[in-house]
Amino acid sequence: MSETKYLETHEWYIVDGGNVTVGISDYAQGELGDIVFVTLPEVGQEFSKGDAIVEVEATKTVAEAYAPMNCVITEVNSALETEPELINNDPVGEGWMVKAEIKEMDDSGMSYQQYESFIS
Amino acid sequence: MSESKTTSLYEFHLSKNAKIIDFAGWSMPFSYDGTLKEHHYVRESAGYFDVSHMGRLRLNYSEIEEINYLICSDLKNISNTKALYSIFTSEEGTAIDDVIFWKFEDDLILICNASNTNKIKTHLDIHSINYEDLTSSTDLIAVQGKNAIDIVSKIMSVPDKFSTSKEGKYVYARTGYTGEDGLEVMLDTNDTLAFISELEAKGVKPCGLGSRDTLRLEASLPLYGFELTDDISPIEAGLKWTVTNKDDYLGKDVIDQQIESKEHKHLKRFKLNAKQIARTGTICKSDGVEGIVTSGNISPILGYPIGFVLFKSNPADDLVEFDIRGNLIEGNLLYKRFLS
Repeated sequence: MSETKYLETHEWYIVDGGNVTVGISDYAQGELGDIVFVTLPEVGQEFSKGDAIVEVEATKTVAEAYAPMNCVITEVNSALETEPELINNDPVGEGWMVKAEIKEMDDSGMSYQQYESFIS
Repeated sequence: MSESKTTSLYEFHLSKNAKIIDFAGWSMPFSYDGTLKEHHYVRESAGYFDVSHMGRLRLNYSEIEEINYLICSDLKNISNTKALYSIFTSEEGTAIDDVIFWKFEDDLILICNASNTNKIKTHLDIHSINYEDLTSSTDLIAVQGKNAIDIVSKIMSVPDKFSTSKEGKYVYARTGYTGEDGLEVMLDTNDTLAFISELEAKGVKPCGLGSRDTLRLEASLPLYGFELTDDISPIEAGLKWTVTNKDDYLGKDVIDQQIESKEHKHLKRFKLNAKQIARTGTICKSDGVEGIVTSGNISPILGYPIGFVLFKSNPADDLVEFDIRGNLIEGNLLYKRFLS
């Protein structure tokens, strides 16, 4: 498994062979406040880099998580349907959102250190 | 732009790791432990809010006739131990601000929205009404919740609901903005930290403006700038119950006409059976009548999205279609309060 990378739109992703796991960063969940609803995509749905894949409703505002690369959804974290707070409590762990098969590799995300200086 | 104002508790909020936001020109705590947790503190136990950003003006009883002319409620004839929610109305019958008056034997305090303090002061100036601005010399702490009265009764004597009291350093009323029982307490800025420490020692948790907003929405209470504006009358906002002024007052003709004709905008409560929140500004339609959402959020207690919507006229149907980011989401108008 490769290192966790971050996007300027505050998603994180981890590439594992031909698959990628996506969620939102700790900074993003902090800015959103309490997450109350998550709308996940369907397994099999295809997304291009930059497409909105997940919609997150929080008490403060609404946000979308975008695809880090062209991919097809293979699994969604259905626990988020009943426990959206997992994203607040453990954004880069149990709060993962989707797993997808990579259609076109794009590993141009920032390292954690780069992301940290990006948000500060 | 001038710098953001702070209450005397600003450093204290920072020491509690509060998330700070700008609200009406004030740097205020948005949350400490998270909006949902704080919401539940109040519904299940008790929380306190620093609401010192709200304007506090001392008025004179000798000018009560003149003051009564500017609001749609009867302030003049209620007893001198009462707190009164009312609305300053314009000549067009619209809301200049919604406020609370605290009546005491010897004193009359007006509490207005932070965003409207200057507007209210100018309005009083125009009508030659004198006031003493207490906003910076005092703080205002709202203690609210299921157990709030039990807890504060160990600190001060508790008046009846919607009544006022003064005791030692505390000037207060049994009012609030959460749908729960509680007190709103005004005190000298030098006394606030000691009061808060006493509340915390009794288990009352600090709550920010985030939960204040979800609590007031769930309690079906309007927020100035959203449900009430200088383009919306008390009648249109569904606050006909505040219109108790028997004398002449500013905007009376328009308000009386609206009561009679029912031809005006209508503010309604709605709920969605969806996982989307219809937020402020969301456009909707019911029975061909267009509406716009004034406030929307999740109801943490009910677990579904709720809100207020302002329709151009009274829709005949209770089904509403909201356009949420291009998706049409169905909702229902409610004729009762969100929480029973």
